[in-house]
Amino acid sequence: MPKILLVEDNEMNRDMLSRRLEKRGYTLAIAVDGAAGVAMAKSEAPDLILMDMSLPVIDGWDATKQIKADPATAKVPIIALTAHAMDSDRQKALAAGCDDFDTKPVELARLLVKIEELLKKFPPKA
Amino acid sequence: MKSLSFRWQLTLFILMISGVTLSLAFAGLYLYDVQQFNAEVQTRLESSQAAVIESVLPQLEHNPNATGLSLKVLAGNTQVAAGAIYSRDNRLLGQFVRPGSVEKVPPSRGLLSQLTPERGAVWLPITSGLRPLGQLYLKAELSEADRNRFANLMRGSLIIFFASAMLAVAVAFRVQGRITQPITELARVSTHVQRSRDYSERVQTTASGEIGDLIQSFNAMLDTIQSNTAELERARAAAEEAREKIHQTNDQLEEANRTLEARVVDRTRLLAKAVKDAEEASKAKSSFLAKMSHELRTPLNAIIGYSEIMREDAVDDGDTRTADDLDKVLSAARHLLGLINDVLDISKIEAGKMELYLETFELSKVVTEVISTASPLVAKKGNSLVVDCPPDIGTMHADATKLRQMLLNLLSNASKFTEKGTVTLKVRRQRGEPEDNIELAVIDSGIGMTPEQLARLFQAFSQADASTSSKYGGTGLGLAISKQFAQMMKGEINVTSTPGVGSTFTIRLPANVQSKQPKIVGTSSPKLTRSPFPTQTRPKILVIDDDKEIRIVIAELLNMSGYEVIEAASGQQGLDLADQSAPDLILLDVMMPGIDGWTVLTKLQSKPRLADVPVIVLSAVSDSDMAMSLGAASVLLKPVDASRLTAEIAMQLCPVDGSFVLLVEDDPDSRNLLIRMFEKEGWQFRAAVNGNAALRVLHKAAPVFIILDLKMSGMNGFELLEVIGKNPAWSKIPVAIVSSMDITPEMRDYLQTRVTAIFQKGRFSREELADLIRPVIQGGAPVPAAKPA
Ligand SMILES: Nc1ncnc2c1ncn2[C@@H]1O[C@H](COP(=O)(O)OP(=O)(O)O)[C@@H](O)[C@H]1O
Ligand SMILES: [Mg+2]
Repeated sequence: MPKILLVEDNEMNRDMLSRRLEKRGYTLAIAVDGAAGVAMAKSEAPDLILMDMSLPVIDGWDATKQIKADPATAKVPIIALTAHAMDSDRQKALAAGCDDFDTKPVELARLLVKIEELLKKFPPKA
Repeated sequence: MKSLSFRWQLTLFILMISGVTLSLAFAGLYLYDVQQFNAEVQTRLESSQAAVIESVLPQLEHNPNATGLSLKVLAGNTQVAAGAIYSRDNRLLGQFVRPGSVEKVPPSRGLLSQLTPERGAVWLPITSGLRPLGQLYLKAELSEADRNRFANLMRGSLIIFFASAMLAVAVAFRVQGRITQPITELARVSTHVQRSRDYSERVQTTASGEIGDLIQSFNAMLDTIQSNTAELERARAAAEEAREKIHQTNDQLEEANRTLEARVVDRTRLLAKAVKDAEEASKAKSSFLAKMSHELRTPLNAIIGYSEIMREDAVDDGDTRTADDLDKVLSAARHLLGLINDVLDISKIEAGKMELYLETFELSKVVTEVISTASPLVAKKGNSLVVDCPPDIGTMHADATKLRQMLLNLLSNASKFTEKGTVTLKVRRQRGEPEDNIELAVIDSGIGMTPEQLARLFQAFSQADASTSSKYGGTGLGLAISKQFAQMMKGEINVTSTPGVGSTFTIRLPANVQSKQPKIVGTSSPKLTRSPFPTQTRPKILVIDDDKEIRIVIAELLNMSGYEVIEAASGQQGLDLADQSAPDLILLDVMMPGIDGWTVLTKLQSKPRLADVPVIVLSAVSDSDMAMSLGAASVLLKPVDASRLTAEIAMQLCPVDGSFVLLVEDDPDSRNLLIRMFEKEGWQFRAAVNGNAALRVLHKAAPVFIILDLKMSGMNGFELLEVIGKNPAWSKIPVAIVSSMDITPEMRDYLQTRVTAIFQKGRFSREELADLIRPVIQGGAPVPAAKPA
């Protein structure tokens, strides 16, 4: 089953999203800040990353840039999650290297469509 | 003629007429007399006539051109003075003149003699049978009585002529008095008025008819001129008086002006303060709203999320009662979320913070999306949904998210207020000059609205009547927001409705929405900051923006403020020009076709020669994290405020000499608080938004004190401390940490060896901080590098 790395500092959001994704059969890895997210993108080798943008230590934009700059992790698709329902955030997310973007609160059905689309575009290696 | 007086002109005219008449009468009389006389002569000469013709006929019959014919037979008749024979072609063939007579015969029979009758002469044809052979001319010897008869005629005519001429002159003299007197008087008066400019004189006359009218008009004209002149005179006097007064008042005014100027300066200062206060208040309000909505949304998201999880579980377990209950919780929570979003939208619009995000999209795609979201809503009350959208509706350039929100609200309203009816979405493109319009109409067959209800529509928090919200729910914000969105896109929303029949809401938008926002404001503000350098050294500023209009405005503004401007129309040109011209500062637009601003910024930062050039990013996007983390010196929001821009540039370029404080802080509110403290103390300072920007300052000059935030995008506080610590030129500079971060014991251990003091944001007095800085600024005495543990 595809492995998703969820980078999210808010405990409840983390809990909800991971449970609902697990229920649909995804394997989950969890990081609670940007730095951990960058590290786990390497160590966990996920098939896709869900990246919150406002994160402690280093924020989502920076974490994304670092992941995309490292040849080992550059190919992993990233979906940015932003709290602001602002279209300009989409621009920023895409500029930082994200492959897609969704707003919080997460609407699961919509997010699942995006996840599946990206997994089709970047098929898991195993 | 021209110089003759009117009287003589008239007399001459009458004389001329009578002269011509009489001459014609005389000529007629004369001709009549000649004719009478000649008829008499013809009878008198009848016998000689016959004799002559008899004597010459045989010769003429023999040869019609025989010359030298003898007319001696005429000598016998003493009544004949002369005679002659002429051929058919009027040549003289023979003649006779009585000896001692002065008469002459015409040398040939000319045209003249045929037409003008000669007194006492007759012409007779000579014929043989019916054949014409020539003409006979006879002139009678005039008797005394004949001659008298002519003289009498002449005499009579002359007498009549002179008598009538006398009469004409007499009449002329009598008549001219009546005609010319008024005209002469008119001429006299007008000449006089012209010379003396005395408009009080009038022409006295009893004349009637046209001349009377003429004189009356002339008098009326004089009346008008007289009164006008009088008025003019009065006005001139008044003007003179006023001028005198103005002269006096001017002095007083100048005096008042001086006082006023002083007062204006005071007022401006107060006003500037008021504006600043208001700005701060509005900033506080919008940041409160942003925080508030975030605070509300976070728990609400948890409620929605966990309810969804529980509902899924309940459905899996077949527990329909719990699932139903959770559906209610979910619908209430979603409603609340919608409400919060609406309130946030309205307050954003009111604060002027709502932005348009324009993109080109397939209209049919947006319609399909909206329909798929709205169709369950419509179906809920047994309504059927009709979509009437031509497949070739084409693309539109607008804010798709806002259009979606507007359509969803109209469709949800229509289905809310309609039961077992029809809801129609009709989309049309209206071709037009200079551009097309898109019309989207939502038509329902629901309860409709009365004119009074219609009048209250589109206002925030207004529903058709108070009972609506209890019966149908809703906040009354949807239409107000939709209307504002439509207006932002230079369009409109209209409604027609009949109670009990239904309503039609029509959105009309330009197919190609232009962002009409002014890109730069306040260019004529008096608060512009000039270049901090003397006028002859003009720092070079590179402006990179694809929008020509904004480049022109900025170039003009900066030239005026003492800078030299280099313009680049694209990201690539910007990079090239940055290399070639070594600017002192760069203004960079974000949204550009081709290489965008973010890429330009990244590339600039990667070139060692350019990394130290401060870059100010001009962005339409409200979040500055991205720019800062990429190394921008500062970010200004579009529309760019000219006074902010010039102040920012001056601050970035300002050479610091002597002691200054370096403030490294990314939160603008905290930064402003501390900057105000510096200004109050009169300290020089530089502000940097993160470690990268701080290093740019440090490379130019070392500050005497550093205030450092820890959490910043880009290079953060910890990283900067590492760099500072490794450079001997900087490692002795005292540093105070001001941060909102929860500082763990390990962090504290790490920091304490490197910094002078640690302050928790919101929990320290600025006086404490100022006490630390004051001695270093004043004496330059170094503060102990670290506090004893
Ligand atoms: N299609 C419609 N038919 C009848 N009334 C309507 C319709 N659309 C709007 N209204 C009236 O206008 C009011 C304001 O609508 P709106 O601004 O969308 O707020 P809300 O939907 O939250 O009540 C509604 O409450 C209703 O009274
Ligand atoms: Mg509504």
